[in-house]
Amino acid sequence: MTGDVKRRRFERLILPHLDAAYDLARWLMRDGAAAQEVVQEAYLRAFRYFDSFHGDEGRAWVLAIVRNTCFSALDREPPAGRFEEFDESLHCDGPEWVPGPESAAMTHETQTFVRDAVAALPEEFRETIVLRELHGLSYREIAAVTDAPIGTVMSRLARGRGMLAKALASRAKKE
Amino acid sequence: MDCTRTRQLLQAYVDHELEVSPALELEEHLRRCDACRARYHTFRQLRATVGAAIAFTPAPDALRRRIAQRLHTQEIRARPWWARRAALVAVPAVLALVAATLVLVPKSDDSLRGSPVEKIVYHINEGTDPATALRNVANHLQLTPGLKAVVVAHNKGVDFLLMGARDDDGQLFEDQVAALKARGVDFRVCGNTLSRRHIDPTRVIPEAKLVPSGVAEIGRLQTKEGYAYMRL
Repeated sequence: MTGDVKRRRFERLILPHLDAAYDLARWLMRDGAAAQEVVQEAYLRAFRYFDSFHGDEGRAWVLAIVRNTCFSALDREPPAGRFEEFDESLHCDGPEWVPGPESAAMTHETQTFVRDAVAALPEEFRETIVLRELHGLSYREIAAVTDAPIGTVMSRLARGRGMLAKALASRAKKE
Repeated sequence: MDCTRTRQLLQAYVDHELEVSPALELEEHLRRCDACRARYHTFRQLRATVGAAIAFTPAPDALRRRIAQRLHTQEIRARPWWARRAALVAVPAVLALVAATLVLVPKSDDSLRGSPVEKIVYHINEGTDPATALRNVANHLQLTPGLKAVVVAHNKGVDFLLMGARDDDGQLFEDQVAALKARGVDFRVCGNTLSRRHIDPTRVIPEAKLVPSGVAEIGRLQTKEGYAYMRL
């Protein structure tokens, strides 16, 4: 691939996902400036390795690179994608939270509370929830980005939601 | 479909990940079972609450511009040297360089110096202000056509050669390094420093080359290649 063709293809397939890349990095780094540095580095890495990308859908590919760059910037191993058993009890107990009447028009305080609760989730649950709820990725795409089996993605999603429901429930009790 | 199966599949259903046929069976169950239907509504409400609370933050324009610019320089770097120079330096500047080489170099060689080339290794260590150091190298280069310059960074001195490093005016060091590199200056980073300070080598900007040890490199350049040492 000549330089020019490569750059044009990169601009067409990878650059449009810059917003998603930056947003994911912000959630993982919990800091806007750090997210900018990570995304810049991730994009240059992606460009360097772009010859190895042959698909037409670049989002999951570049988000996986962004995620790995985040964890190396944090000097941590990314959460391992173990084959977890899809734990039925987690899905059968269900969210304890009972939505109150305010849910229809959410107050500013509730929004802040939920945002903080998501930011406080352990990494593997945080990234899975953000990729699903904010970026609208399918289970399959989340599995590709986080290098985890689909069953693990579903468990993490269920457990992450369970944690958020629990946080909302305990807040509702206090009020 | 019974309650147990419904509960297993409920999340996938709420996430629109269920195939049509099990989705129809699940809907049939929800119509009959109040408990499962209540769970379904809670689940949906939770999704809506989370979805409405967390906001997507788009990338800042400055980041977008910086990446576009860096991609452009990377592409130039991948071209052959003659195409690279043409892209980096404006035509008048090239003509001026050619003129300067033709007029100045023979004259200064004949009249001012016995040695054919001046070779300097600049040492950037802890305590060196990298912005001043780069300016000094650029000035030196201006006054000494044909100067062979190598910059060796070591200890805290490596920081300006990491991705995203900026001077006090907010200018990326990488752009300044790339400009000097285009004029023939070599940049070398001490590998020992990186491993001691746990810096991932991929964070070093591509303009700089990794050497095993900064000190050994300076020693080698002085004794084996006839470079003079200058601490900046």
